[in-house]
Amino acid sequence: MKRAFLGEFEEVVLLTVAVLDESAYGVTVTQEIEQKTGRAVGFSTVHTTLQRLEEKGYLSSKMSGATAERGGRRKRFFSVTAAGRKALVDVKSIREQLWDALPPQTLQLMGG
Amino acid sequence: MKPPRLADRFLQVFCSPHRLEEVQGDMHEEFVWQVKRLGYRRARWRYWREVLGFTLSFAMKRRSKDHSTSTLISPSMLQNYFKIAWRNLWRKKAFSAINIAGLAVGLATCLLIVLFVQHELSYDQFNTKADRIFRMTLRGSIGGKELKIAYAPAPAGPTIQHDYPGVEAFTRLEEQGTFVIKNGNERFKEERVVFTDSSFFTVFSIPLLKGNSKTVLTEPNTVVLTESTARKYFGTQNPIGKSLTMGTMGLFRVTGVCRDVPSNSHFHYDFFNSYRSLHAREKWLSSGANTYFLLRKDYPVEKLAAQSTQMVRTYLGPELKEFLGMSYDEYVRKGDRFEFNFQPVTDIHLKSDREGELEPNSDEKYVYIFSAIAVFILLLACINFMNLSTAGSANRAKEVGIRKVLGSVQQQLIRQFLSESVLITFLALVVACGLVVAVLPTFNQLANKQFDIGTLLNGRMIAYTLAGCLLVGLLAGSYPAFFLSSFKPISVLKGRLQLGVGSGWLRNTLVTIQFVVSIGMIIGTLVVYRQLRFIQNKKVGFDKEQVLILHDTYVLGDKLNAFKTDLAKQSQITRVSLAGYLPAGNSNSGFDGVRDVNAPAETSPYRLRTYRIDDQYLATLGIRLALGRNFSKAFSGDSAAVLVNEATVRQFGWKNPIGQRIATVGDGSPGDSRTYTVVGVTKDFHFESLHQHIAPMIMLYGGDGYQLALRIRTDHVPALLKTLEQKWKAETDNPFSYSFLDERFNQMYQSEQRIGELFGIFAGLAVFIACLGLFGLAAFTTLQRTKEIGVRKVLGASVASIVALLSKDFLRLVVVAIVIATPIGWYAMNQWLEDFAYRIDLEWWVFVLAGFLAVAVALLTVSFQSIKAALVNPVKSLRSE
Repeated sequence: MKRAFLGEFEEVVLLTVAVLDESAYGVTVTQEIEQKTGRAVGFSTVHTTLQRLEEKGYLSSKMSGATAERGGRRKRFFSVTAAGRKALVDVKSIREQLWDALPPQTLQLMGG
Repeated sequence: MKPPRLADRFLQVFCSPHRLEEVQGDMHEEFVWQVKRLGYRRARWRYWREVLGFTLSFAMKRRSKDHSTSTLISPSMLQNYFKIAWRNLWRKKAFSAINIAGLAVGLATCLLIVLFVQHELSYDQFNTKADRIFRMTLRGSIGGKELKIAYAPAPAGPTIQHDYPGVEAFTRLEEQGTFVIKNGNERFKEERVVFTDSSFFTVFSIPLLKGNSKTVLTEPNTVVLTESTARKYFGTQNPIGKSLTMGTMGLFRVTGVCRDVPSNSHFHYDFFNSYRSLHAREKWLSSGANTYFLLRKDYPVEKLAAQSTQMVRTYLGPELKEFLGMSYDEYVRKGDRFEFNFQPVTDIHLKSDREGELEPNSDEKYVYIFSAIAVFILLLACINFMNLSTAGSANRAKEVGIRKVLGSVQQQLIRQFLSESVLITFLALVVACGLVVAVLPTFNQLANKQFDIGTLLNGRMIAYTLAGCLLVGLLAGSYPAFFLSSFKPISVLKGRLQLGVGSGWLRNTLVTIQFVVSIGMIIGTLVVYRQLRFIQNKKVGFDKEQVLILHDTYVLGDKLNAFKTDLAKQSQITRVSLAGYLPAGNSNSGFDGVRDVNAPAETSPYRLRTYRIDDQYLATLGIRLALGRNFSKAFSGDSAAVLVNEATVRQFGWKNPIGQRIATVGDGSPGDSRTYTVVGVTKDFHFESLHQHIAPMIMLYGGDGYQLALRIRTDHVPALLKTLEQKWKAETDNPFSYSFLDERFNQMYQSEQRIGELFGIFAGLAVFIACLGLFGLAAFTTLQRTKEIGVRKVLGASVASIVALLSKDFLRLVVVAIVIATPIGWYAMNQWLEDFAYRIDLEWWVFVLAGFLAVAVALLTVSFQSIKAALVNPVKSLRSE
C-alpha cells in the first residue's frame, strides 16, 4: 500500500487549507493556524510547506484576486487535490485505528 | 505605512522569481494587518524577520526552467563560476597547489608584518590625551660636541607649568637604577622602578584600580604598584597601606594599585615611587628627568616651542654664569647653544633616539623596511598567480571559445575568472592563517613581541584581512581575466591561437621583477650578516672573553672588600676589579665638564664621559696603556691623578699629555670643582656601541662597587659559578646574579641581529615564492614544447643540449635581474651602513655571490622540469595525432 507521508506541520497546513475551502492563501492559512493552534508560525515556514505540499501533489493552486494593499499583486489560492484528500483520510484513519486499539483503562486515565 | 524598502529589495533578490509575486503580496498584506495590531515599529521588525526567514528557506530553491535574470551578478551565475573554478582547481592539482602555496606564504608573511607594523605604530596611542602630551627635551652643544638629551632639567616641570598658563599639568619620570625590594623576608631585585609626580595618572591613561589619582603620590616615600606586582608581593591581600623596603631608601607605603603598563608604551615600570622621595634638585644644569607636559586643548605646542630661547635665557642663563663663569650671550658667541624641544609622546618610540631614553626605542626606518618587504612578498605571490594563469591559458582557451559561442559576453567571462582568483586567494588565506598560528611563537621571539591569536582575531584586523584578500584576488586575477576573456572564439575553436605566446614579454618582465626582489634581499642579508660579524670580531680595545661580571655587589656594603680579597685568592680567578662602569651592558654613567687648566680662561669646558676605576680595572678588562702608568696604591697622591684615553689627548691637542692638568666643573659650586693631573693614557677602547666614534673620556681613581668584574681562567665555568654562589649566599641573602662581558657586548647589537635574522628569513621566503613560480612556468613551457623536444631528440639532440635549450630562456631573465638588482642593493645597503661609525666596505664579491646563488637556485628549479622533459622517450611525445 502506498502510504501518505505527512509531517505533523504539513498535516496541519493541509487541514487548514481544507478548512478554509476556497479562500486559502498564504496570509489566511498563517493566521488561521495561529488562531486555531495558538502557535506562532513564520510566514516563510507556511509558504515553504505549501510549496512542498504542492510538489507532492496534495495541493493545487491558481493565481487571482489582486488587492490594493498587496500593491496589485495576485494571491495564490490553494485547494486540496484528490490525492490530498486521500492523504488526510489515511492519516485520520491510522490515528483512529490507534485510538481504538488503546486499552479502556488507559483511555480513562487520559480523561477520554 | 510602507514595509522597509531594503528588506523588500532583499526579498526581490533572493526569492525565486516565480514565487515572488504571491510572497511579496502576502507579505505586504500581512504587514498592513500587523501595523494595525502591533504598531509600525514592531511590524517593521517582523517584516525583516520574515524576509530573512524566506532568504534562508528557499532562497536557492528555483524552478530549473526559470531563465536567469538579466542582471550579471545573480546568485546562480556566481554559483556556476565557483563550481567551474573548483573543478579547474581540482583537475590541475599540482598547479593549484603551487598557486595556493605561494599565495599562502605571501599572505602569512604579510599578516605577520602587518601585526608587527601595527603594533609599532600604536605606541602610546592608548593615552586618551596623547595628542596633548609632549616631552620636553634638551638640545645643544657644549665645546662643539652636539647634545641630544631625552630628559629636561628636573626643575623645568613645575617652573614651566607655573609660568606658562597653556600647560595644564606636568609629570616627571626619573630612574634611580635597580632596587632590591623587601617585603618581610621576601626580597626581589627589581629593575622597573621609577620616581614620578602625583600627576602621572592624570597625564597618562594608566587606570588606577585602587587609590585616589589626585593624592596617590603626593607624599614622600609612597609607591603605586602595578596589578601584577601587587599580586607578586601581596597575593590576594589588599596592598593599600602596607609597606615595602625600597633598597637603601627605607620604607615605602603603598598608596595605590594601577593597571599594568601596556606593551605599546615607551616605558614599562612596575613601581611608581613618589617624586618627593628624592631630595629636591634645584639646579637646571646638573639634574634631569624625563618631563612630560599636558597642554590645554586650545594651546598649540608651537606656542610653547617658540618660547624656547626665552626659557633658556631666564632659567639657564644665571646657572651658566655660576658653572662656567660666562653669560649666555658669551656662550652663544662661542658657537655653543641650548634649546628646548617638545616632542609629541606618540613620536617617541619611532622617531626619538636621544641620550637617556627610558628604554631603547625602535626606528621608523624598520617600519618602512618591513612594510616594503610585506608589499614585495605579496607582489611576488601575485605575480606567480598571474604567470601561471596566463601560461595555463592554453587549457582554458577552448572553454572560453565555447562560452562565447553560447552567448557569454566578455564582461561575464572577466567576472568568471575574477571569481576564480578570489576563490584561490581565500583558499590561500585559510592556509595562511594556519601558517601564522604555527609560526607565531617563533615570530614573537624574533620580533621581541607578545602577540597571541587574540591579537589576530579582533574585528578590525579580520575586516582588513578579508578586504585585503579580496583586493589581492582581484589584482592577481585582473590580468589573466582580461587576457583570457579577449580570445576570439573563431580562432580559438579552429585551434589557430598561438597559445600562451602572446603574453610572453609580460611574463618575462614579471619573472624578472621577482628575481630583482629576491636578489636584492639576498644582498641585504649578506651585508647585514657581514656587518654583524665585523662587529663581533672587531678589536674593541678590551678583552671581552673570560670576564665574569657579578651584579649588585653594592648590597654587600662593608663586606665588599673582604669578599673581593677572598675571590682574588681563588685559583680560577686572576683579577678582581670594582666595575661599576663597564663598556657593555648595565653600567653607571657619568659626564663631567672638563677644562684644560692651562688653556685660556674663557674656553668652555668639554663634556666628557667619566669612569671611576680602581687599580685592577685596566688589567681585568685587558685595556692597554699607551703612555704613562696605571693607578697604583703605591702612589698616595693618586686621588688627584687621572687617566685619559687617546681621544682626549687629540681633543685637547696635547703634545705631551703626561703631567697635563685638567679641572672638572662638577655641579657648578666652587667646592665641587677639582683639579687632576694626567698620569697615563690608555689606548682607545669602545665604551659605546660601534654606531658611535670613540669619544674622549677620563678615568678617575676610586672604583665603584655597583658590580665586580672577574677575569677568570678556567674550563669549568659551572663549577666556578657554583663556588661563587655559595660564597655570595654566605655573605648575604640577596639574589645572586651574574653575566659574561662578551654576552653583554653582543646584546648591544640585539636589534641589528634581529634585523639580520628577519632579513634572512624574508629573503628565503622571497626566493621560495619566486622559485615556485619559476617551477610552474618551466613546467608549462616544457609541456608546450613536448613535440619540439621529441623531434629534436629524433634528429639526434643530446639530453644536455635540450636541458640547455630549455633553461637558457629563464637564465637570461635571472641575469637581467642581477644587473638591475645590484645597483639598487648597493645603494640601499650603503644607506643602512651609514648608521655605523665603524662599518664594512661593500665588496664586489657580495654581489657576485648573491647573483650566483640566484642563478643556482633558478637553474636547479628549471632543470628539474627540463631534465624530465629531455629524458622522455620521443616515441611517447610524438605518438599522438
